[in-house]
Parts: sequence; structure tokens; C-alpha cells
Amino acid sequence: MQRVKFIDRMAQGKLSRRDMLQSAGAFGVGLIALPRLARAQGGPLTCLEWGGYDAEEYVGAYVSKHGALPDFSIFSGEEEALAKVRAGFAADVMHPCNYSVSRFVNAGLVTEIDTSKLSNWADVFPALQTAEGVVQDGKVVMAPADWGNSSIAYRSDLIDPAFVADPTWAIFYDEAYAGKVSMLDNEVAFQIGAMVGGMPYDEAYKLSGAALEEAAKTWGAKAVNVSRFLWNDPSEVQQAMASGEIVAAYAWNDLVKNLKAEGIPVEYAKPKEGMFTWFCGLTMLNSGKADPALAYDFIDAWLSPETGKYLIESSGYGHANMKSFEVADPAEVAAMGITDPEAMMGSSILFRTPTDEVQVEHNRVWGDIKALKM
Amino acid sequence: MTRRFDPLLLYAVLFVLFLYGPMLLMPLFSLNDGNFATFPLKGFTLRHYGEMARNTSMMTALKNSLIVGLGVSVTATALALPAALALTRYRVPAGGAILSFMMLPLVVPSIVLAVGLLIVVLRLLGLPLSLWTVAAGHLMLCIPFGMTVLMSRLEGFDKSLEEASRDLGAGGWSTFRRVTLPLAAPGVISSLLLCFIISFDEFVISFFLTGTDNTLPVFLFSQLRFPNRLPGTLALGSLILVGSAVLVILAEVVRKRGVASDNPGDI
Amino acid sequence: MSSASARTGLSLLSPAFLVMAATLLAPVVALIVMSFWTQSGFEIDRTFTLANYARLVEPGEGTVWYGIRFPLAYPVPAVLMVKSLAMSLVATICVIGVAWPMAYFLAFRVTRYKAMWMILLTIPFWTSYLLRVFSWKIVLGFNGAINSGLQWLGLIKEPLEFLLYNPLAVMITLAHSWIAFSVLPIYVSLEKIDRTLLEAASDLGDSRWKRFRRITLPLSMPGTIAATLLVFIPTVGDYVTPTLVGGPGGTMIGSLVQQLFLRQDNAPLGAAISIVMMLIIAALVGLFLWLIGYRRIRRRIG
Repeated sequence: MQRVKFIDRMAQGKLSRRDMLQSAGAFGVGLIALPRLARAQGGPLTCLEWGGYDAEEYVGAYVSKHGALPDFSIFSGEEEALAKVRAGFAADVMHPCNYSVSRFVNAGLVTEIDTSKLSNWADVFPALQTAEGVVQDGKVVMAPADWGNSSIAYRSDLIDPAFVADPTWAIFYDEAYAGKVSMLDNEVAFQIGAMVGGMPYDEAYKLSGAALEEAAKTWGAKAVNVSRFLWNDPSEVQQAMASGEIVAAYAWNDLVKNLKAEGIPVEYAKPKEGMFTWFCGLTMLNSGKADPALAYDFIDAWLSPETGKYLIESSGYGHANMKSFEVADPAEVAAMGITDPEAMMGSSILFRTPTDEVQVEHNRVWGDIKALKM
Repeated sequence: MTRRFDPLLLYAVLFVLFLYGPMLLMPLFSLNDGNFATFPLKGFTLRHYGEMARNTSMMTALKNSLIVGLGVSVTATALALPAALALTRYRVPAGGAILSFMMLPLVVPSIVLAVGLLIVVLRLLGLPLSLWTVAAGHLMLCIPFGMTVLMSRLEGFDKSLEEASRDLGAGGWSTFRRVTLPLAAPGVISSLLLCFIISFDEFVISFFLTGTDNTLPVFLFSQLRFPNRLPGTLALGSLILVGSAVLVILAEVVRKRGVASDNPGDI
Repeated sequence: MSSASARTGLSLLSPAFLVMAATLLAPVVALIVMSFWTQSGFEIDRTFTLANYARLVEPGEGTVWYGIRFPLAYPVPAVLMVKSLAMSLVATICVIGVAWPMAYFLAFRVTRYKAMWMILLTIPFWTSYLLRVFSWKIVLGFNGAINSGLQWLGLIKEPLEFLLYNPLAVMITLAHSWIAFSVLPIYVSLEKIDRTLLEAASDLGDSRWKRFRRITLPLSMPGTIAATLLVFIPTVGDYVTPTLVGGPGGTMIGSLVQQLFLRQDNAPLGAAISIVMMLIIAALVGLFLWLIGYRRIRRRIG
């Protein structure tokens, strides 16, 4: 219908220069919010989901209630997904993480979640219910679903015993480990560096200006020079760790689980500067065309203990629902190194998101260090 | 008659080794009983092929990519051939400028093309995203490749053949079918093959222009988050590699049996 | 030439041109327009400005990269541009050098099953790009095929670490990924050489080398040029290969543009960089065609 209207107007010469300019301006990352179509209800539920999570096991309750999976549009990076939604792609639900959700909110793409419509909300860890990223300006913008850690995984057969005795993030900035470790390709590289230098995380994550340049020059450059490669996807780092190419890496929980399953001696360290926790969750987008009740059913299904049990047992990640840990195989829970999830969350550092400007600055500084590396 | 040793033959063998050598690790590790591709090998298994067959999203993505790839390569070549003829055989006004414009997709970063097209499709045309929109994006990407290859083929051909055909009273279409097309044939095949590769392997434009139907590269990129799924994708790669090689050789041998031609110019 | 020729030419060209115009015009116009705008956060300021271009050439303290001085306030785009051009130039030369003899073999030595040969040369590319790069990482990797082989033969004790994550690995992988794009155009050009011409030259007593230099090489030029452009131009903007096998310093100009669009909320600067990149590539291609005397070649073989 839209198209016909557009061509008609063009034919009648009614399409003004301003309209054209606006359309041109919308180019790029969808930079101009053209008036959005009114939320037309009744379409099928469309979920923008990580590839691999588009499976029945994660939303069993939704499938048994509605008879089929919703439509999935899969993505492999949040920024690409954000660009797609900003350009006008209509989706009802999206799966960002605590460090990326604010970008969606600030771009004006997210609607508030009414938690009273989620039957499993009461069982979500209280720490997660109110965490930064879940609540923004007093509104719940994301329902936390899956969580995990970021710490150092190491090959216990190959690494220097001194590290095992006193695990520290310092190895990623230590010439002695040059070519044997792998850091994540992300600005946390110099944030963690600053922590090794004695700065608390609450300052390091929002460094800016001259202090940021300083940290980048000292720690960022070291991280880039010491790492054999900076990893972008778990496959890459797990493969390198399995072959013994690197002896330690910044890693999520699934690395340890996957490598142990293959009989490779690998351990997850508790570095003295602290280990990190991240979480991801489900956000309702305002471009959706389906009945919001469907979106709530989808989110609620993700929060169910059954989904949590599957997530824990299959990937080694944690789940937002406390009951998940009761129904999951205790051996699997123990293998995660988590006996008391709540205590663990309390003792680790929850990743935080600085303002958009600071995020952009961190990204630029990190990009520049890599670009100028010789 | 004994054949003299031909260094070029040796070179061709080495070339094929360089081309296929690394690829053969795919079948090797797809049969290896482990989730990581490291030496030493652990033992023989077919379980990764079972995982692959059960993975319906992977199979759907493969099917989507095949449809788009075949459609795009045929359409792009069909459009590129007359365009290449026009630019090599006829004096087109502003031909140079038109050609430069049509070559732009080679230079413009794909992220720019992808987001730009997405906005055109969604906000200007108001069309839903589907495999059609992906195909349109790929078509734009493939036409310059097809034209470049076809123009290099058509350039420098003796025009007298086509003229002779016309003088003998053959119409435009008949001249095209009997003279021009056979002359262009190797270029046409090359263009079809290159366009298929481009479309089958393209990620950025596919990601932005697809709705809920995924193409294979979009699916595979998303699997990187799950290292356990890697051997399943290796199994798929191996099947494509070995399956298509066997199919092509069989088809060609069968075809040639029927014709038994030994003409050097014959393709 | 008559206007009838122009009319036929235009009608042959128009379907492809219309498809290209419909898909390409809007993105390219928007790219140009946007490079004169500015952005802060998610908001875009549509006042005309040359600030993005000025930023790219603004003099400053600068940096030294591999002995080259970049006296710019923001040297990163310039450094990445030089790096990408150098990388892609070397890769193109390697690709063409490796592909040429193969194309020659295909055109003159293979007498049967030519179509099958052509298809076999492209089958490795029917698997995903990711899987091909992955395979190269296994070949070059720490416990990879080369290292394991050498260790098994007893030639080395410790795995060689220099095989992966450096410019050489990028070059090998790039050469491998683009090989089909060079063999096929060169072959297509070589294959059309009239064999009677070569025989005539032999009859006239030309040596093999002279025959090659005077007939084969010049007549293959359209294909060789096409191959050079089809490999060189897209590899300048490629960044996936360098990131995957190039190690921590693998950033290229394409990744900068991507980051500016997606993460740094500075699409206008990304647009300006894209346009400068396009202009530089166009200038280089023009220079290349002028240097090898493309017009002369066209006239001679036409």
C-alpha cells in the first residue's frame, strides 16, 4: 500500500524535495525517525534472536501454547541488529545484553515491559530484577534471561604454575605471555588493564578524555601487542585453546564446559582483580506488529525454569530464574563452579554501561590502537 | 606417441593442490570424533553428519541460498550479456560514464550498500523483507562482475562474423543465437559461476535484506557463537564440496560420451 | 557510426542499467549527501559542511607508521588507507601471477571437458567463506597440518608460530579466496585467441617466446586487466580476512567504515572516508589503465 502511495505521489509531482531529503537522510543507520507506522496489531510474532537460540528448547511454553515457534530473524552481532531495526525493520522482541540494551533504549526503539504480565518474574534473582540495564529511568526495559561470567580460562597443563597460585588479569599485559594469550576484541581490554593498574572498575568503565587516552596508551597497546589474536567469536578462541596455541584467554563459561567435555585440561580462574558477570535478556521493540500478548508469552517462556534447566545443562550459562538451579542436574550446576548463584553474583563485578558518548569514545580509542599497531 | 614432459601440467597439478588441499581438511575433521579441529585425530565418526541432517534451520538456509544463488546468477548474466554487447559492439552515448556508474558496487563498502538498500526497501517502497529483496541486492552486486568478464570476452572479436550472418539474411535474434552466443559461451559460463559464488557467499547485504528467511552465510556467522556446532557445519561444507565435484564430473563424462567431440575450441 | 547503432546499443544496455540505477542510485546519492552532514549521538545535523573532509587532511602532530610519517591530526584513516592499498596490491599481484599460468593451461593444454575444469576450479568456493578461512587456519595453525606434518617428519620439535596471524597469512588466504575471480577472466580472454594466428607466427619463424610476447600476451590483456580490477578493487575494502588471520593488527579501512557506521555513531565521517576511498581507487585504476596503454590495446585488438 505504502509503495503505491509513494509512486502515486511521485507521479503527481507531490513528493517534495523535503520528503526526498528525508528519505535520503534516513539512509545510513536510519538516522532520521520518519513517522513510524501505527502499531498494526495482529501480525505474527517476529523475534530478532541470536542464531542458535531460535530453537524450541528455549521457548517450550510458547510453542505448547501457540502450537508453533514464532518467526525468527537471526543476527550475530547486536550493532548490526540495531542498525537493521533503526533502518525500519519491524520486530517485536529482541535479545540484547546489559552492556548493549541502552543503545536500543536511547535510539527510542524500546517499550516498557509490564512485569505483572510475566508469571515467572517473581522467581527472577532479585539482584537481576533491579540491575542496571534492566531498569532504565525507573522503567523495566529488559527481562533478564541468560547470564554468565567473563574471566580467565587457562590450560592447566601448559600454564606457568605461578599464575595458578595467584591468578591475575595482568597476564594479558605481560610481555612474558606474548603470543600465548588471547584477549577479547573489545574496549574492556583497556578497562581491565586500568584495573590491573589499581583503578576500581567503577571508574575504569567510564574513563574519558585525557585519562582515557592515557589508559589506552598504557594498557590498550599492551593488550594488543601481547595477545596472539584478539578474539571475536567463541569458536575462534575455543579452537585455539583446544590446540594449545594459547594457554590462557578471556573467556565465557561455555569455553570451560566445551573443552572439558573433550577431555582437555582447562580451568576457570578467579582473578584477584575480580571476575565479571554479564547478562542478556529480552526487550520489547516498539516497531512490532504482533499482539503484545504474544510477546509477553514469548518472554515468559524464556524465563521459565524448564528453559533455564536446558540452558544450564547444554551450554554452561546461568539463567535468570532462581528455580532453574533447583531443577537442573546438580552435577551440571556444580561443574559451572556455581554453588550459590546469588552469592556468586554478589562477589563478581557486574558489567556496566557508560553514557553513549563515553561508549563511542571507548570504541574509537580501541579501534585506533588496533589500527596503528604495526 | 610419447608425450614430452610439460611443466605446465605440473603447475596445474600444484595449483589444484593449493586450491583443494586446505579444503580437504573439512571432510577430514567432519569425520573426526571430536568437536575441535586439532591434530592428532581422535577417531572415526559419522555423528556430525547426523547432527547436520537434523539441523533443519541449516538445511533451510542451504536451500534458500541455492535458490537465490541460481536465480541471481542466471538473471545477472542475462542482463550483463546484452549490456556487455552494447558497450563493446555499439557506440553508446556516454558509455564510459554509464560503465563507471555500473561498476560502483565494486568500490562502495558493502555496509553502505546494505543499509542504503534496506532503507529504500522498507521506508521508500514499504515492501516486506524476503528472499526477493536479498536477490535484488545480490543482483546489483553481481552485474558488474558479469559485465567485466563478458566484456573482456567480447572485446576484440572479429565483428565480420556477425556482419556476415546479417548479410546472409539472418535476423538479429538468429545472429545472436547462432553467432554471438557461441562466441561468448566461455564468458557466459564464467559469469554464471562467478555470480553464483558471490551470491552464495555474501553476508552483509544478505543479513540486512533478509526477513525471517536466512541464507547460508547468515546462518553460519550466527553459529560461531556455538563452537559445538562447528563440526556440523564442516559436515555440510564437505558434503557440498565432495557432492558437487562428483556430480559435475559425472554429468560431464555422461554428456561427452554422447557427443564424443575432441574439438579444442569446444567447451 | 550511425544513431541506429547508438539506439541499438542503448536498448541492449538499458535493462541492466535500469536494475543498477534502481538499486544503486539511492544509496550512492545518500552516501554523497551524508558526507556533508554531521552526527552527534543518534541525531543528524543536516547543515552543509566540509568538516568531515577537513578532518581527514587536518595537519597535526601525527604518527609514524612503518617509517612513513603521517603529519595529521587524525592519522588513522590515512594509515589504514595506505595499509589496505599496499595489502591489496601485493595480493593482486600474487593472485594474477598464480592464476595466469593456470588460465593458460586451461586455454591451450586442456582439450576436453573444459566446462568441467572451469566448474571444478570454482567448487571450493561453493562452501562458505568462513569455512575456507577456517580451513586455512587449520593448515597454518599451531597444531595445524603444516606443523603436525613437519613434527611427524621430525624436521621440527616445537610448532612454528610465525605461520598464522601476520601479513603473509593474510596474503595467502586472500590469494586463495580470489583465485577463481582471476583464472576465469584470463582464461576467457586467452581462449578466444585464434589458433591459426599462432600457427602463422610459427610458420613465419617466430620463436615460442616471441610468439608469446607478440600475440598471446597482448591478446590476453582484456582478461588480465579485468582480473586485476576484479581482485584489486574489492580486496581494498575487505576486512574479514585480515581480522580472521591477520592477528591483532588486522584492522583495514573497511573495518573503520563499518565501525563508524555501526558503533561510533559517525556515519557522515564514514561516508566521507568511503568517498575518498572510492576516488583514490578510481584514480589508481585510471593510472593503471593509462600506464599499460589500455586504449591502444583496445584499438589494436578491436
